[in-house]
Amino acid sequence: MAEPLTRARIIGAAETPYERHPSTERRTETFIAEAVVAALHDAGISRDEVDGFGVASFSLAPDHAIDLTWKLGMTIRWVMEDTNGGASGINMLQHAIRAIEAGDAETIVLAAGDRMERREFHLMTDRYNRVSRDYMAPLPLNGPNALFAFLTERYGRAHGLAREDFACVPIAQRTWATRNPGAVYRAPMTLDDYMASLPIAPPLTRYDCVPIVSGGDAIVVTTEERAAKLGRPSVGVRAIRSIFNDENQDGNGIETGFARIRDPLWEAAGVGPEDMDAAFIYDDYPVMVLVQLGDLGMIPAMDVKRYVHKTLLEDLYPVNTSGGQLSAGQAGAAGGLHGLVESVQQLRGEAGERQVQGAELVLTTGYGMVLYTHGSSHNAAILERVA
Amino acid sequence: MSAPFAVTECVDCGYVAYPPRILCPVCASSRWKRRLTENGIVTELTVRRPVAKRRQLPSGNWLDQEETRLAAIQSDAGVRVIARIAPGVEIGDRVRLRQEASTAIALPGQVVSADLADGSADEAAPTIHAPLSDYPGRTP
Repeated sequence: MAEPLTRARIIGAAETPYERHPSTERRTETFIAEAVVAALHDAGISRDEVDGFGVASFSLAPDHAIDLTWKLGMTIRWVMEDTNGGASGINMLQHAIRAIEAGDAETIVLAAGDRMERREFHLMTDRYNRVSRDYMAPLPLNGPNALFAFLTERYGRAHGLAREDFACVPIAQRTWATRNPGAVYRAPMTLDDYMASLPIAPPLTRYDCVPIVSGGDAIVVTTEERAAKLGRPSVGVRAIRSIFNDENQDGNGIETGFARIRDPLWEAAGVGPEDMDAAFIYDDYPVMVLVQLGDLGMIPAMDVKRYVHKTLLEDLYPVNTSGGQLSAGQAGAAGGLHGLVESVQQLRGEAGERQVQGAELVLTTGYGMVLYTHGSSHNAAILERVA
Repeated sequence: MSAPFAVTECVDCGYVAYPPRILCPVCASSRWKRRLTENGIVTELTVRRPVAKRRQLPSGNWLDQEETRLAAIQSDAGVRVIARIAPGVEIGDRVRLRQEASTAIALPGQVVSADLADGSADEAAPTIHAPLSDYPGRTP
C-alpha cells in the first residue's frame, strides 16, 4: 500500500461528554475549551506547542476564534473559523493539512462545540440563513425535520424502501451505541421500538431525528515528523475531496455532490470502497447515511434494501460505531467533528468495546448547510492508521 | 388574504430561481424579472408535529403552535417550492400556489401557501425585479 498522500497527521482526538441539559454556567466556550484540553492531553502535547487554531460553532457569537485563542492563552500563527456545520470538521482538516504542509503552522487544534438546548436549537434553525429566516421559519418549518421527511419519502420511492428498511440504519447504529458509554441513547432498540416511536414529521419519527445535546469535539493535527516522535499510532489522510453548491438546489437532494467527488476521492486515495474497514457517515438523518454511502460507491449494485438488512443490520458492517449522532447525540457544529474523532479512536485501536479489529482504512464524511430544500456542502476523507 | 405567487426569472436566459439569487447560476446575469407561478404538483408532504405549545419567532412575536402541513411542490415554473398546504391535499395533487401575507401575527418575510387548484387566471402582469441594478452586469 502506498504512503498517505498528505504529510500531516492527526495525533489527538477527544469529545466532551454530550449533555442533554447542561447547567447554566456551562456555555459554548466551556464545551469547546474542554474538548481542546482533552484532545491536547490525548495527543500528549502541551498547549504551548500549539501554533494554529480552528473552530466551528453555531453559538459562539459574539465571540470568534480569536476570543477563544485569548481565553485559552494560546499564541498562534494560523487561525480559522468555519461556518459549514456538518461539513465543518473535514473542511477545517483540509485547510489545516495544507497549512501544515506549507509550513504556516506546525501543530493545529481543530475544535467545534455548542451549548444546544431546545431554545437555542430553534433560534439556530430559524436564523440558519436569510432564506430560513424569511421563507422557512414563518411557515413555520420548525427546523429541518420536514425537509428530510421529504427526502426520505423521495429516496424510499426511488429505491423501494419502507419504514422497516430505513429502520435498519438507526437500529444498527444503536447496537454500536450500546458499546459506547458516551452515547446518550444506549438501550438496544428493536424494530417494534422504532415502528412505535413518536411521529415527528412522518415518515420521520423520534428515532430518525438526532437527540439535541451540548458538547464539544476536537482533534490535533501536526507534521509527520512530530507525529513519528510520539511513539504511538497516528492517523494519516490519504485524500479529502469537497464540493459545495454543486447544483444550486435544483437537484433532488438524494443524488448529491458526493457522486461528483466519488471518483476523484478514490483515485486520489489509491484505494477503493471495498478496502474500507469502517465508515463514519454524517448522520443527521438515516436517509442521508444511505444517500452518502450510495453516492460514494459503498453500496454494491445500489441494492439498498439488501445493504441495510444484510450489511448494516445482520453483518454489522461498521458504520458510525459511536452510535452516530442518531444515538450519541448532535452537539451543534460538533457533529461535524464527531465522525473524525470516532475515526481516530478506531484507527488507533482505542475504541474500547466497540473497537473494529484491524481497522486500517476508513471513510469519513461531512454534509450539511441546507440552503433551501437540502444540503449544499459535501466532503469526504479517506483516513489511514500510521503505525 | 393571499397574493399571487411569484418566482424570479433571469431576463437573459430564462433560468427560474426561488428563492431569488443575485447572479444567475447559468449565465451570470444580474437582471431578473418577476414571474407568476399559479400551479404545481405535490411531490412529498408531511404533517409536522408542533415543537412546543408556544414559541417565539425571530421577530419577537409569539406563535401558538399547532401541527403544520408542509409539502414539497414541483411548480409549473420548474422550481421546487416548500409550502404550507391546506387540509385534504395529498401527494400527486395539483395545487394552486398563493403567497400569504402576515395576518393574525406579524410574521417576518413571506409565507407560501398552496390551496387546491381552482383554475383561476393570472392576476397581474410580470414586473421587472432587479435586486442589484448597479451590479456590473453579466460576465461574458
